[in-house]
Amino acid sequence: MSRREHRVLGWLFTSPYLLYSLVFFLIPLCWAMYLAFSDWNLISPVYNMVGLGNFKKALENPGVRSAFWVTYKFMAFFVPIVVTGSLLVSLLVNSLPRYKSLFLVGYFLPYLASGVATSLVVKGVLSYNSPLNEWLRGSWNLTIDWLGSPVSALLIVAVIIAWKFIGYYSLILTSGLESIPTEVYEAAAIDGVTGWSRFWRITLPMLYPALFTVLILSAGVTFGIFTEVYILTKGGPDNATNTWQMEIFTQAFSKLDAGYGSAIAILASVVTFASIYVIRKLMEKWGDRYGWE
Amino acid sequence: MVGNRKRWHNPVLYTLASITLLIMIYPYLHMVMHSLAVWDQVDRNFFPTKFTLRSYQWLLLGAEDVQPRPWLRAFLNSMFVTISSTLLMMLTAVLAGYALSKFVFKGKKAVNNVILFQMFFPSIILLIPSFLIVKQLGLYDTYWGMILPKSVSLWAIFMYTNFFKVIPNDLIEAAKLDGASEFHILFRIVLPMSRSITTIVFLFLFMERWVELLWDMLIVKGQQHLTLNVLLAQMFGPYGAYPGPMYAASVILTVPIILLFLACSKYFKEGIQFALK
Repeated sequence: MSRREHRVLGWLFTSPYLLYSLVFFLIPLCWAMYLAFSDWNLISPVYNMVGLGNFKKALENPGVRSAFWVTYKFMAFFVPIVVTGSLLVSLLVNSLPRYKSLFLVGYFLPYLASGVATSLVVKGVLSYNSPLNEWLRGSWNLTIDWLGSPVSALLIVAVIIAWKFIGYYSLILTSGLESIPTEVYEAAAIDGVTGWSRFWRITLPMLYPALFTVLILSAGVTFGIFTEVYILTKGGPDNATNTWQMEIFTQAFSKLDAGYGSAIAILASVVTFASIYVIRKLMEKWGDRYGWE
Repeated sequence: MVGNRKRWHNPVLYTLASITLLIMIYPYLHMVMHSLAVWDQVDRNFFPTKFTLRSYQWLLLGAEDVQPRPWLRAFLNSMFVTISSTLLMMLTAVLAGYALSKFVFKGKKAVNNVILFQMFFPSIILLIPSFLIVKQLGLYDTYWGMILPKSVSLWAIFMYTNFFKVIPNDLIEAAKLDGASEFHILFRIVLPMSRSITTIVFLFLFMERWVELLWDMLIVKGQQHLTLNVLLAQMFGPYGAYPGPMYAASVILTVPIILLFLACSKYFKEGIQFALK
């Protein structure tokens, strides 16, 4: 094939992607920047440029502030749960002599669930007259307003999403465990390294690349929570589960404040990008200690 | 000695693994049990003892005081939107992936870099203006409004690019000597060799599109283009007054994806190995 053919076909085959990127990436990106400085309300034909007004308003707004903190609180619940959970599951699966992949496929099933459906199930299980709550009332004289108190509402959302991702992440970790050569364990056994210290000093450092992937992926999930919160709490109680997406949705599409919503979206993007960057750097530092590049 | 220890270990490990499995799939079991339970046992009995199809009947036919909702229509809408969107994402990814792995052209590196940049870009910033563009294009409350903005997957392009790189160039050259066109080579030779990766990509894209709520909620206005997720959220989201039908609707939403997954699970194991590398 001639160089010309390579060039023509190369651009031809990538053109659907490029066209898409123009219409649904580049133009929206510029438009978002522009909107963020205006007070457009999605409807009226006239609007003003308000400079940094939207950003100032956003920084002073309790909803935006809550979105900022809720994300990190959520991360503090979600990441430890999902990482420990998937690590335990993958260690368990890896120690099975047979039927490994059968169990892995089974554990993966929650990943298929729609957030709407699982949230509705959770809603049913936690409803006032559910067997769980009847039992708590009857045996312990406890009445818990699961979705009505800030900490438990956020924890419940974190658990639902962790349940969804554990099977997926344990696939990643299991393939990491499988790639650790048995010679390493044999050498360690000769030196008398077994049990807990074997886990901390050999398995965990050797598993670092897979753990890195899982940690970055799970931290990324934190910044995109919407469905579960929308169905279960609508961001409440008292903004305790008000994620970035929920806040943007409320401002731009319920209150029709598109300019202000865009400003929040830009803030959210900057915060997301910076957070993931810092987490990456911290993880890499940790990896350096183990001698990973 | 070691053998003895292992023999003692195994039943414990399998019991633990099975209990974990039960916990992982319990929400599905709960959903199915309670969708079939008689109404005064829904959410009241941990394990319902009497069963009925009333919840499904209520959903599909309505009741005296409740209009039937367009469930069948929403189901077909969801299917149509998900399948079209997924196939488009696969097509654009296969084409771009092939170009980026097998063609040599100026600017290829730049395209690769742009893809990487987009992959790490927080897409939340695009939500509002993408909605406005769809509106400008006259696609508000249409199927295309739900399909086109989700017609490219960067992850899928990335996967196919890496997979095609492994396919030997000699094979392609040989086919070319026989007079095969590039399209023929891609769709008749290269793609059939990529069955495991195609299964994984299809499955993940289908799944992600099937459970999408936010975008569809923004685009759909009337009853005509409702998707299943949106209908469910509208009906049971804020004030779920009918728990039985709520479970039945969740089952209807979940079953297709589980069936698809189980049908693909043979290739899933092969493909996931590559996807996780």
